[in-house]
Amino acid sequence: MSGEGLVDAERRRFNRIALAPSLIVLFVIAGLPAIYLVVISLTPFQLVNPGSSTDFSSPLRNYRLLPGDPRFVNSLWVQAKLSFWGVLLQVLFGMLLALLLHTQSRVVEFARTLFLIPMVLPPIVVAIIWKLIYTPDISPLYYAASLLNVTMPSLTSSVDFALTAIIIADTWEWMPFTFLMVLAALQTIPEEFSEAALVDGANRLQIFFYITLPFITPILVISGMFRLIDSVKAFPLVFLLTGGGPGSVTEVTNYYAYLLAFDFNEIGYSSSVTIVMLLLVVAVSLGVVWMGRRREAMA
Amino acid sequence: MSGGMTGPVRRSASPRRLVAIGVTLIMLLSPFLWLLQMSFKSNDLILQFPPPLIFTPTLQNYASLWQGAFAASFVNSLMSASFSTALALILGVPAAYALSRWAGRGKHALSFAILVTRMAPPIAFTIPFFLFYRWIGLLDTVTGLVLVYTSFNLPLVIWMMQPFFETVPSSLEEAALVDGASTRVVFLQIVLPMVAPGIAATAILCFLYAWNDFFFALILTRTHARTAPVAVVNFMNYEGWEWGKIAAGGSLVMAPVLIFSLAVRRYLVSGLTAGAVKG
Repeated sequence: MSGEGLVDAERRRFNRIALAPSLIVLFVIAGLPAIYLVVISLTPFQLVNPGSSTDFSSPLRNYRLLPGDPRFVNSLWVQAKLSFWGVLLQVLFGMLLALLLHTQSRVVEFARTLFLIPMVLPPIVVAIIWKLIYTPDISPLYYAASLLNVTMPSLTSSVDFALTAIIIADTWEWMPFTFLMVLAALQTIPEEFSEAALVDGANRLQIFFYITLPFITPILVISGMFRLIDSVKAFPLVFLLTGGGPGSVTEVTNYYAYLLAFDFNEIGYSSSVTIVMLLLVVAVSLGVVWMGRRREAMA
Repeated sequence: MSGGMTGPVRRSASPRRLVAIGVTLIMLLSPFLWLLQMSFKSNDLILQFPPPLIFTPTLQNYASLWQGAFAASFVNSLMSASFSTALALILGVPAAYALSRWAGRGKHALSFAILVTRMAPPIAFTIPFFLFYRWIGLLDTVTGLVLVYTSFNLPLVIWMMQPFFETVPSSLEEAALVDGASTRVVFLQIVLPMVAPGIAATAILCFLYAWNDFFFALILTRTHARTAPVAVVNFMNYEGWEWGKIAAGGSLVMAPVLIFSLAVRRYLVSGLTAGAVKG
């Protein structure tokens, strides 16, 4: 008995030594910056005015300014449009792709890996790829349009098409993610279900809507939420393709916060924009964790 | 949809389905292939339409990149990604082991905190890091980048390694402990070798995340520690529109990523979702 207690004590000591360095480092390089971000968001800090970094005379000033800042409100709206269409298209096309590739064959198994390429590319390379596609002089897209006698507007500098151009590139980049998750879900559906349905005379469409779809709906929702969280990070595409323009048509909140801090030197105000964004992300993350738990409980 | 939309029915692929898969694959990868072929063309050839199907590839774009400042930025990328991966593994692997054997309170809270660190938009960390680095002189240094990259790689290691440790049967450890071995010895000599494949996969993912970073490097470096992704964009903006060089630079930046990610494709989903869903 005392021997076991000794082992336990030794184990506990080991756990402490193993965990402590990570926790300390995480606190220093993630915890402290987060706290500092909150603190700085309570000041009117501008880089050109160092004294302003400790001016707490009106701590909520930045947050009060936010609702009346048309550019901030617009950026939330742009982000909402980008996220909505991006996530919707990624889930839809990812699912179709998964259904297409859900089959047993060596060749197809190898092809699956190739379908993942857009997702693993460095985001900045994805942005370069689409920059090439959207630049009229060198683009096969514009050449193809000219063959069909269609004059295409410059997509990335057009008020009507700039956001669509980014949504297309974003969908191309992240469709493989939903594809991979849906494929994993499809592979867990017991074959007996659809075989029984086939025997009962169900057609393929009915099998899809009554068996496959209900089975993969949770994973569609969860992969969509993960994409929703990450869609807030869309930076390289906006940075390289449109620079937020024309005007502020493609200026997402992330990009606005970047401009505020590193172009306009409004560090304090930018921090408050970032905090709001962070709170939204945390809310969605909590939703994902909650749904993941519920799903585990159901399984 | 030749084979039909029947998810559940798993059988060998029909020829029609294979054709559909092939066509989809070519269509989806065509933007990527367009960049690749462009990197082997001279600038005259790039502007030529209709594009010639057969042309003599040139390595001139790659050569001129390598003679310029790009080589140095490539080395910066390699160094910052490798060092932050090493640091995250050294700190994170023992922590993940301890967490996987620990059922105490606060485990869920800790896990969620780690998840949030992974989910936070980079700008949230960039502002504090930028101010702090400006103050202590770490702006435009590889050390600065290594620290920032560790802030997202360490949580990744802790998160990804736990399931690997959970697969090690505890009976093995108990036997060694009864024989009088210390937990440290059990961990180093019995458990660690068993999770070696997991460590390899985690290391590659860490490397890729750091390698793929654009935002942190854009803000926190200028010339000295500039990484390859920022360098490519820079000569887009400052050296005119040399499309061949841009395409070659992009191809070089994506080369290590393509090679490595094929090696860890099985773990890609768990890494991307930080393990919150068993994909």
